Amino acid sequence: MPDYDVIVIGAGNGGLTASASLAKRGAKVLLLERHNLPGGCATSFIRGRFEFEVALHQLSGLGTPEQPGPLRGLLGQLAVLDKIEFTEEDTLYRTMVPGEFEVTLKADRTEIIAALKEKFPDEADAIDKFFDLVWEFCMQMVSIFFMRDPEASREKYPIYCKYAIKSSKEVLDDYFKSPFLKLAIASYWGYVGLPPSRLTFMDMAMLLWAYTEFKPFHIKGGSQALSNAILDTFIKAGGYPRFNCGAKKIIISDGKVKGVITETGEEITCDYVVSNASTISTYMEMLDEKYVPDDKLKMLGSRSVGPSGFTIYCGLDCEPQDLGIDVSTQFISLNTDIERQFASWRTFDRPEMCGMSCYDVADPDFSPAGACQVAVINLQFADHWLTIPPSQYADVKYRYAQALLDIVEKVYPGFGDALEEVDVSSPITHLRYLGHPGGGFYGFEKFAKDSNLFIPPTSGIDGLYFAGAWAGMAGFQPTLESGVSAAKAIYRKMNK
Amino acid sequence: MTKQDIRQQIEGYAEIQAEIEVLRKYAHDRRADRGTVDRVINLLHPKELKLTVSEIIEETASSKTFRLISADGYLPPFQAGQYINIFVNLAGIRSSRPYSIASSPSQTAYYDVTVRRVEDGFVSNYLLDEVTIGNSLTSTSPAGLFYYNPLFHGNNLVFLAGGSGITPFMSMIREVTDRGLDRNITLIYGSRDPDDMIFKDELEDRAQRHGNFTFIPVISEPPPSYSGHTGFITAELMQKLLDDVKDRMFYVCGPEEMYTFCLPELDKLGMPKKRVRQEVFGPPKDITMEAGWPSEVKKDDTFEVQIRGGKTIPARADEPLMISLERAGITIPTSCRSGECSLCRTKLLSGEVFQPRGVKVRKSDRQFGYIHACMAYPLKDLEIML
Repeated sequence: MPDYDVIVIGAGNGGLTASASLAKRGAKVLLLERHNLPGGCATSFIRGRFEFEVALHQLSGLGTPEQPGPLRGLLGQLAVLDKIEFTEEDTLYRTMVPGEFEVTLKADRTEIIAALKEKFPDEADAIDKFFDLVWEFCMQMVSIFFMRDPEASREKYPIYCKYAIKSSKEVLDDYFKSPFLKLAIASYWGYVGLPPSRLTFMDMAMLLWAYTEFKPFHIKGGSQALSNAILDTFIKAGGYPRFNCGAKKIIISDGKVKGVITETGEEITCDYVVSNASTISTYMEMLDEKYVPDDKLKMLGSRSVGPSGFTIYCGLDCEPQDLGIDVSTQFISLNTDIERQFASWRTFDRPEMCGMSCYDVADPDFSPAGACQVAVINLQFADHWLTIPPSQYADVKYRYAQALLDIVEKVYPGFGDALEEVDVSSPITHLRYLGHPGGGFYGFEKFAKDSNLFIPPTSGIDGLYFAGAWAGMAGFQPTLESGVSAAKAIYRKMNK
Repeated sequence: MTKQDIRQQIEGYAEIQAEIEVLRKYAHDRRADRGTVDRVINLLHPKELKLTVSEIIEETASSKTFRLISADGYLPPFQAGQYINIFVNLAGIRSSRPYSIASSPSQTAYYDVTVRRVEDGFVSNYLLDEVTIGNSLTSTSPAGLFYYNPLFHGNNLVFLAGGSGITPFMSMIREVTDRGLDRNITLIYGSRDPDDMIFKDELEDRAQRHGNFTFIPVISEPPPSYSGHTGFITAELMQKLLDDVKDRMFYVCGPEEMYTFCLPELDKLGMPKKRVRQEVFGPPKDITMEAGWPSEVKKDDTFEVQIRGGKTIPARADEPLMISLERAGITIPTSCRSGECSLCRTKLLSGEVFQPRGVKVRKSDRQFGYIHACMAYPLKDLEIML
């Protein structure tokens, strides 16, 4: 008898849902986490009187109790819906080019169209047609993949087949003339980490559609509350979490998973492993080289690590409205050239864009009375950060942060004067806390070739499963779902 | 028809498959990157430092500076004001205490920590009395949040120091004066006795040589002939010493009483929260004196703490749970020992603890029953999960 049925490596979103699902189904599960608390990205930290949300900007896929989205069902099955409270946001985002352009898109198709038409009356027809396309595309995608239509074909789903992996830029250019309009519609590009030229239409369309249909949400107490709630389900279902204990090696015997060796050298046996670590470190650091299938080695080498991020966590000694902040999510660009902004993620050049999330707009209790918090974020790849001598790291970090704050100050004068607590995370921070190559919280880059249309979901090793952004799509909803999928696959196999 | 079929009917599918084949053919060999993540992290935040005492400097009758060099050749950078948490094995107990680094971050050949004798100081008195040159110590890497942040601190800084609370300021003052940084510092340094002021000579010397650094000692129990400022660091005194307080950033570091006294004085000056930074200072001398302590629990009450899947240990009401665990041979991760860093976050399965105000427990951690063991005092028998 092995010590456990399943060992889950990593208590990020995917590791947590995998552990909780398996434990709830009666499996004996050990959850190993290197850090002292669950969540991975889904966490928070305290500075002064502020508890800063680390990673969650807008939770997708939840939907309302009346119109539930897929995530609501999932969290319901994990018995966490009763343990935490969600805050619904009525706005997708505001897109701004300071001094030139600004539009706010509500989480409602009719209102989005009206807002865009008001700004771009010349392109009214195109706007209608584009949103028809997005909605039709997404409905077809839902029928094929979520309803699992057994008769799916190109004839039945022509829009899906025509547009799925087309570049978003191509479609936007076909439909629209104004670069401001294109910027406004493509504003969620940062959530995937690819500019429209490389972002598939399917990703851009699904983001717009899903956030509009299921509304953006946040969580009372932040994403740490979600992580704590899932862990609570795991513990109550008899699961064994072990913190401050990383996994070092996965033991293979006769071509099958046999157990895990922890960082303290303890050997623990099991039949299945779910790795919520990056696929790169799982194959390259935790498995003996002789067990890594050649095919997987090629797969890992043919894919590129996605961006990490640079976030300034700002605690302000005023209410959002005192500065004029009236929407939760904003994208500020100094120009409309997204391709150039993407290129700048590989440099320390002065940033030309940033995202801003103010959680207190939708949830006035998020921060103490009379105060609010704002996360100012721009994505960054890690490579150039790795070239900084350690002794200069802090200076470089502060310089880059100041340049981002300068952008915010243009739109919200007085922002800098209201700062009461500030901390900064860089790609190095994410590398440290996640252990992922490149600090890549989105996993690999999400080109068309990296979608699940092309990447087989299996690990190539009997008993080894993956959960998290490295094994599929990135973001809260997809990673939470990935753990449940891994759990289902294991459960099916256990009961054969 | 299967799903696989429709995938292949997507426009552009074949082209992408062909691209994938090319990419795999010329794939980067990821075996070459093995260990990169650890290498990067170990240059900035190694888990543990192995240190050797290279020099011991007598500072005052009650304090010494320990110069610590790396046993394996590398000390990570830090921000002036940060501390290391030094571990010791003493009388069969493994415990630790955080000490601010007093040396300048401009060099990392060594870290200086300056230790002052304290009544019943478990680790401090051991360092002062037992540790000699050549001894080995282990510590965490530098951590802590009491440092200059250029994004919002401005250039006019006022340091309020009390006793050994001078040490983080010493690092900041050395950095600013040595590197010629564009920051004005006024140090108001409270001490009982002018002869027991750590770094007094060096501070006077630096103040004389650098126009952007002002040193103002304030003596609470002055000898009869003393001619400088006396008493405590009051609002009135600060108003007198600093012509304009408005754009200044105040930093406070000292013993417990210093905060109790100085923070209200800063309020009197009208300083908003955002203009006051304070270092954390560990467990209070007498927890039962804290606001909110339940009167029915006495200092020497002892409770049983059951560790899930492990042993049951005794724990005194007036000692942080972390210390009771250490007495029982259980060391849990820690860095600040002041309720701030959250490394000792522990799940409370049953029972009740007292956590003084200011312990930085996350909202949802409170909801789900997590405590910071370094600043949690048992009020009942407990069951915990480590």
